Amino acid sequence: CTKNFEKYNTDNTGISTGQLKPDYNDVGIYLLQAERSIINFSGGGDPNSYQVQQNLNADIFSGYFMSPNPFNGGLNNSNYFMMTGWNGEAMKVGYLNIMSPISKLRANRTDTAYPAVWAVAQIIQIAGMSRVTDIYGPIPYSKAGASKSDIPYDSQEEIYKRFFLELDTATANLQNFINKGETLPFSFANFDMVYSGDFTKWLQFANSLRLRLALHIVKADEATAKAQAEKALNPANGGVITANSGNMAVRVGGSFTNPLVYIDRNWADTRIGADIACYLNGYNDPRISAYLGKSTDKTITSQYIGIRSGAVTGSNIKDDYIGYSALGSAFSLTTPIQIMTAAEVYFLQAEVALRGWANAGGSAQEMYNQGVTTSMNQWNVAIGNYLSDATSTPAAYVDPKFPANDKAAQSAITIKWDDAALFDVKMERLITQKWIAMFPEGQEAWTEHRRTGYPKLFPVAHNQSGGVVKDDEGVRRLPYPQQEYNTNATELKKGISLLGDADNAATRVWWDKK
Amino acid sequence: KTYSQTVSISGRHLSLYEVFNTISKQTGYEFVYDAKLLDSKGAVNINAQGQNLSEVLDKCLNDKALTYSIMDKIIVISPKKAPREVAPAPIAATPVTGTVTDSAGHPLQNVSIQVKGTSRGAMTDASGHFSLDVQPTDVLVISYIGFDKQEVTIGANTNLNIRLAESNKQLGTVVVTALGIKRSEKSITYAAQQVSGVELTKAKDPNLMNTLNGKVAGLTISSSSSGVGGSAKVILRGSKSGLNTNQALYVIDGMPMNNTLTNQPNSSYGGSTAYDGGDPISNMNPEDIESISILKGASAAALYGSQGANGVVLITTKSGKAGRTTISYASGFTLSQAAYKPEFQNSYGVSRTGSTQSWGDKLTTKAHNNLDDFFQTGTNATNAISLAGGTEKTQTYFSYANTSARGIQPTNKLGRNNISFKETGKFLNDKLTAEADVNYITQKIDNTPLSGLYFNPLTGLYLYPRGTDLSQYKSDFEISDASRNGLMVQKWPFHEDVQQNPWWILNRNPNKLNRNRLLLNASLKYEINKYLSIQARGSVDRMNDVYDQKLYADNNSYLAPLNGGYVYQNLTTNQQYGDLLLNFNVPFGKEWRVTGVVGGAIRDLKNSGEKFNSGKEGLHIANVFTLNNFTAMNSVNSGTLPDNHSQYQSVFGSANISFKDWFYVDLTARNDWSSNLAFTPTLSYFYPSVGLNVILSSVTRLPEWVSFAKVRGSYAQVGSSPQTYQSYPARNSLGAEGSIIGNTIAPFTDLKPEKTNSLEFGTEWRFFNNRLSVDATYYKTNTKNQTMLIAASWASYYDYYYINAGNIQNQGVEAVVRYDVFRDSKLTWNTGLNFATNQNRIIELAPGVDDFTLTGASGSNYSSKFRVGGSFGDIYGNVLKKDAQGRIVINSDGAPTKQDGGMVKIGNSNTKFQLGWNNNLGYKHFTLSMLIDGKFGGKVMSVTQSMMDQYGVSKVSGDARDAGGVKINGVDGSGNAVTSIDAQKWYTTIGGREAISGEYMYNATTVRLREVALGYTVPLKDIFIKALKFSLTGRNLIYFYKKAPFDPELTMSTANGLSGVDIFMQPALRSYGLSLNATF
Repeated sequence: CTKNFEKYNTDNTGISTGQLKPDYNDVGIYLLQAERSIINFSGGGDPNSYQVQQNLNADIFSGYFMSPNPFNGGLNNSNYFMMTGWNGEAMKVGYLNIMSPISKLRANRTDTAYPAVWAVAQIIQIAGMSRVTDIYGPIPYSKAGASKSDIPYDSQEEIYKRFFLELDTATANLQNFINKGETLPFSFANFDMVYSGDFTKWLQFANSLRLRLALHIVKADEATAKAQAEKALNPANGGVITANSGNMAVRVGGSFTNPLVYIDRNWADTRIGADIACYLNGYNDPRISAYLGKSTDKTITSQYIGIRSGAVTGSNIKDDYIGYSALGSAFSLTTPIQIMTAAEVYFLQAEVALRGWANAGGSAQEMYNQGVTTSMNQWNVAIGNYLSDATSTPAAYVDPKFPANDKAAQSAITIKWDDAALFDVKMERLITQKWIAMFPEGQEAWTEHRRTGYPKLFPVAHNQSGGVVKDDEGVRRLPYPQQEYNTNATELKKGISLLGDADNAATRVWWDKK
Repeated sequence: KTYSQTVSISGRHLSLYEVFNTISKQTGYEFVYDAKLLDSKGAVNINAQGQNLSEVLDKCLNDKALTYSIMDKIIVISPKKAPREVAPAPIAATPVTGTVTDSAGHPLQNVSIQVKGTSRGAMTDASGHFSLDVQPTDVLVISYIGFDKQEVTIGANTNLNIRLAESNKQLGTVVVTALGIKRSEKSITYAAQQVSGVELTKAKDPNLMNTLNGKVAGLTISSSSSGVGGSAKVILRGSKSGLNTNQALYVIDGMPMNNTLTNQPNSSYGGSTAYDGGDPISNMNPEDIESISILKGASAAALYGSQGANGVVLITTKSGKAGRTTISYASGFTLSQAAYKPEFQNSYGVSRTGSTQSWGDKLTTKAHNNLDDFFQTGTNATNAISLAGGTEKTQTYFSYANTSARGIQPTNKLGRNNISFKETGKFLNDKLTAEADVNYITQKIDNTPLSGLYFNPLTGLYLYPRGTDLSQYKSDFEISDASRNGLMVQKWPFHEDVQQNPWWILNRNPNKLNRNRLLLNASLKYEINKYLSIQARGSVDRMNDVYDQKLYADNNSYLAPLNGGYVYQNLTTNQQYGDLLLNFNVPFGKEWRVTGVVGGAIRDLKNSGEKFNSGKEGLHIANVFTLNNFTAMNSVNSGTLPDNHSQYQSVFGSANISFKDWFYVDLTARNDWSSNLAFTPTLSYFYPSVGLNVILSSVTRLPEWVSFAKVRGSYAQVGSSPQTYQSYPARNSLGAEGSIIGNTIAPFTDLKPEKTNSLEFGTEWRFFNNRLSVDATYYKTNTKNQTMLIAASWASYYDYYYINAGNIQNQGVEAVVRYDVFRDSKLTWNTGLNFATNQNRIIELAPGVDDFTLTGASGSNYSSKFRVGGSFGDIYGNVLKKDAQGRIVINSDGAPTKQDGGMVKIGNSNTKFQLGWNNNLGYKHFTLSMLIDGKFGGKVMSVTQSMMDQYGVSKVSGDARDAGGVKINGVDGSGNAVTSIDAQKWYTTIGGREAISGEYMYNATTVRLREVALGYTVPLKDIFIKALKFSLTGRNLIYFYKKAPFDPELTMSTANGLSGVDIFMQPALRSYGLSLNATF
């Protein structure tokens, strides 16, 4: 008698798709998982995934953070010894935690039943996967999830084209939903840890994201960049984020904690980078106390001091740098996880204006000033006469414990906008302020640093890449994970030929080349 | 004795063989005898009609110097016991008295004592005593079934104490085979090896399986490093399966035991939940075991189905005996200590203040030996009492045993109580036999040592900078923290995940595992007629484990939250088994006979339980270890545990066809329905086996010095069902706060059951009146359709998917040679060699798949995986970058570098061959046994050494500094040869947990003095105590050869992964014991 066999062989602790149907959990819970994975904290308390997804690569390469921990005997990403075991996490999270749950929404017909919800899902997917392609270059995208093996790679150019098309659909669906005043049979707010179900804000984020992606590719495909940026900023399409209340940030609570704060507070595995500390110190930036705590090392005077990237080597112990600046007063374990801010959008608009494209919304200077002001507001600090400071320049780095790491300031760029300056100077000023404003989101900061060269960062103190990565170029991408070599080797090989050069940290991705 | 069967036989000049055959046909009894016994015994004239069996046998054998005994349905014919009456007294006869015992000192009843060359003799009474009038020149021949014959010259002795050695391989030995069916050993068609209970209790170990190590050819036992109460990994003829268990099946009195593999470490981190749950077999009281027979191959086990594919360990427990009441008491006390310790450098101190490393200046005084402050002497005290007795109708066995042990790591303790009660009764004119057996076991293990990098006291103990006396952290492992209003926090200067205060870990991260186990067996057997009997059996094996771990506030912040953590798990594993067997035994014609069984069985295995782990969320109030104090219940760590409910339904049949007494064919067939195949196209699988056996010595005339010769061969197929839920893993599970975690393993609805095809040939020869015996077997098994978990490209939205594929081959040779060097005088000495070699090869995996990972590489540069062309347990790691000439490439910093392109195969931990040499000596009242065994070949990795080198605490790192650097064959960037490199540069680059593991592979060959036991039997006569024996024992006494810095036999996990790597395992033990056995 085998009639009970199926019952016996069903995991009693599992949740079937059918069990998710009531209360529309089969829509909402998948969406929540994807939202929580762009910067990954979807597992709950343990921020291990985020640490290798972002904190031990982009957060360091962006100049925001540095780890005091001499991982792997002092040889690791922070000094360009690229860790195979770490550098696949972003890809893993992208597919398993973002694309996979979103594919389930398509499987359960959310795309046709609730096109506006599906639009949000697509926007989340693009927000997440754009970061993944920005890290590696070509990745499987159009055929992801289609088979168990031999999954083809798309070129980064193709992926970006697809992002724009998908954004077209998503924004159209959202506009349709908003304009028709449609309603959903369930409360979308329960499933939306970003905008609490406000589709207008999703539409503005979608347009802002389009603008961000457009500028990413300006070097490789200026025509598309211009067209997409103008489309994003065209008021007819719904507008972009204009106020801090529209910031894209994922709320945390309960078992979920802000993973960056967690590894800063609980693990002491991350500290402020020398670059952001020197810029803020040099500019007397009022945001400094929000961003940075003062050093707690008993052997040095209390100050805002970061760790220079690559400074921690095998001869260091964790205690050497653990007392340098940690995250500042603005951060707690329940701080929402910031993906995109109004300030960033103003800086993007400033660049659009600078490039002379349409729909910028104002002059470069206006947008620049608006960006800085919006950022100051975001962090609740008084701006003072910051915008008129034409003399302060970034500070040099003085390592109070290890003078060998001292380094002169890499830039003399000041704060006050100078419309008469050369394009490159304007770009540096603009991107530098944007970089300060985007803190602590290192992934986008690293992308923009690669694209523009700004802000100018200290060269790595020790370069353990074996000559692969040049000091003055820095890490341009992460190598593909070993997992892909093991599981998808044939297609990966084609992917590497789409990349156009060796699969290492020195190869530039498509948008990073002229 | 009366038997209800009647026999009708008449004729003149019948051969004994014909008589036996006729009786056999009529009664269903099988005869077991040495064919040589029937030689020159003359013919039989008989006329019996409807007489009972024993009458007929008595008549036939009366004048033939033969006797018989009946066990179950088997009649064993043996040389006649000499008549009790003393024959006409010879001149000047002197009376001698004596006692005959087995090697453990238990008295033997009904032993035949015969004066050589005469018909005079005597038999021993219930207390093993005899008396006989003899002349000093006489030689006594002492013989007893199941024991080696012994000859004793009287000389001046008038009080003899004779100890008979059990012969494991006596002709006519009855072995217990599948389903508890007893068969004569010579008729079986596959390799089986029997070990008496004495071997298990000779030199005790808290885990009884460890005492079999080195004694059985083809059996590989790896003990875990989990201290007292730890599991043992028991593999017969090599590992076969990647995901399914490779361990042997345990069968107690014919019914499969629940040997569910308990929790095991599964990563190099170890950690708070990676404890060893203890294997169910180790719970048994070894004193309850009568004998163990090991069925090595699939053929032997085909009737047990899936579970038997890895071989079977059949355990026969003791029962009460009719007419003999004995009370036995056994007591043992063992002391143990670390058999070796890591080697430290004692001359260089800490690198600089606050550093965790020891690359500093020369010390002014020799570094303190911190290990002596840590390890303690382990103890193991066992006390067991048993009562056995009964009448012809009912027999009773009762036993109680207590084991109390402590490990060499302080706070590691084991306490176990076993109660066993067995009752056998005969009803309905002896046609119905009922038997029931109850075992209750409680076991408590405190502070199982956790291997790996986390929560392991050994990391801090070993890595702490040299030159510091750690005893300051022993007496005060915690200090008051004013900022937390006096909360006691860990005293330790480092914040490193891999090292904490060892004594803090012992006292403030305590774990506890309590087991309650009830094992019930019952059986009813009814004799329908002389050809048929029917039997119904059932068993329940219910095991409840409660695991509890408290993590006090102020562990390293990586490992536990600020206020501490708590883990509580309550798991009940319940196995129910039932079968119905129809046994038949039918003669055809004069020379053919078919015996066998058809039946059906059902086995149902289910877990139920829950687990709570406060996880990263931690506790509200520090150091309050209750579920109420959890800040959150995160479903990732806590909740209802999966039932893993499996049900197997089977029908099976076997037939053993014999022709005369020299040709045997075995056929078996079995079909299983497994619930684990639900959601797949077929729910069942079928598998047959065939075996053939010819007794050459009975077919043809062999030279006189060949006592016995047999060839055998068999082919078997055994199917094996997948694990629960593999065919359709739950699509979602609950994560934190009601979130959903999508399953990253793809469903596998076209799953097929695994199949093992096994072929074996063997031969057995005995020479010189059975004095020398050789038994050799060649086998080859191919395991196909394995369920393998294959890493997927993440872009498939899965981490893993299952495939059915592969062909894993194990082939090897096993041989056992025994020789009785002395057996005819006061001195007995038998020696035996067992040899086994197994070669494992991955012939194929699947198209497009050439890689299957058993243990991932996370956290260390160790990975265990399959690759086509490789073998089970291949170790992968990183190696040094070398140039075309094999020179180590030195980079611009003057350091060696890692070869690009990921991990490569750097060795395999499998032993190439094993050799065991067992000796048993007896002289007067003394016995001495000694076992030397060697495991040859294989390579193992030591992450312990690698980390000690990186931290500069190891002896090699100190020696290299003394020598001014490490000698290497290297080359720098500009092509110049580099012959020496700074010790610190070298070891900090190649050492550590994530560095160049290829430099940390060691030859696994180990030769050791495994076991020595010296026994003394106190000569006693006619007093209250019938037998008394003392023994001194030692285990793992000497490593004659060992190159690795740890004992390669130890394993972190008894599951399939983590083999051949030492990540801060507790050292292997050396132990010394004293035991006492008394019989009343």
